[in-house]
Amino acid sequence: MVEASLIVLGVMALFALSSTIATYLAITERNLVKAVLYSAIQSTLYALIYYLLMAPDIVLVYVPVSVGLYPAIVLMLIKKTEKEES
Amino acid sequence: MLEVIAVYLGQALIAIGVLCDLVASIGLLRFPNFYLRLHAATVGTIGGAFVPLIGAALLAAGSTYLGAYRWFIAGGALVTAIMVLMLAPAGSHALARAAHRSRAAVVEPKVVNYLEEDEVGKSG
Amino acid sequence: MKELISMFIIAVLPIYITSFILYMVRALRGPTVPDTVLAIDAMTFDLAAFLVILAIFFESPILIATAIVLALWIYSLDIYVAKYLEAKEMGE
Repeated sequence: MVEASLIVLGVMALFALSSTIATYLAITERNLVKAVLYSAIQSTLYALIYYLLMAPDIVLVYVPVSVGLYPAIVLMLIKKTEKEES
Repeated sequence: MLEVIAVYLGQALIAIGVLCDLVASIGLLRFPNFYLRLHAATVGTIGGAFVPLIGAALLAAGSTYLGAYRWFIAGGALVTAIMVLMLAPAGSHALARAAHRSRAAVVEPKVVNYLEEDEVGKSG
Repeated sequence: MKELISMFIIAVLPIYITSFILYMVRALRGPTVPDTVLAIDAMTFDLAAFLVILAIFFESPILIATAIVLALWIYSLDIYVAKYLEAKEMGE
């Protein structure tokens, strides 16, 4: 019988590592639309980490802001200006 | 007795969904272009999310040790399953239409593309 | 019955984690924008199913509401990117 808390810690560490990679790619990417999508990956993984930390109320607020509102506003801004970072 | 049947049925549905999920992720990684990856994504959303959500609803309805709150979990899982069933095909279709019209996805190993020839013939 | 369900969920969990990692590889190195959005989409709908299964494993019913929110809002990301690509084609 595997300890349940050990599973939770392992999954949390794996997803935290993946979100670090996504954040690094979002910073170094030249194409701004792809940078927004990498940021969306990072916020999805953070939602799972908040869930495993037993904070569902944080998830209920964090997901609409970081997956719903933030890419909408930034994509509207990219549509008005230019796509590539110069 | 009914709870035992619900638990075994739910476990079978979750096992089917997990296998569909693994197959879909391997297919999404190995297929060569975007329009082929849409097939794998369909297996991943309907087979990998809708089927195990129905299974989780049955599993929660059958696990009597949770008390009366198990109906809460079963109802939430059922609502999420119906939502996935409606939203995933709509999103994939909108994305495929946008990718085709904006020519964002390149069809790399191409044999024939009648849709593109029609558009070229209409405009030219 | 409780032992059976817990053992089954523990046995199912590594397959889910493996498929999440494979989805994430495609999402991080997808050559075009629609590939990345498609991989995020499939990964998040599967994540919603995973959260429901974990709510049964943790025996806490309050965790179920997060799956509904996640499945609803990731659809909006699809529509935003689709509208952005089509608007670029139509010339604003």
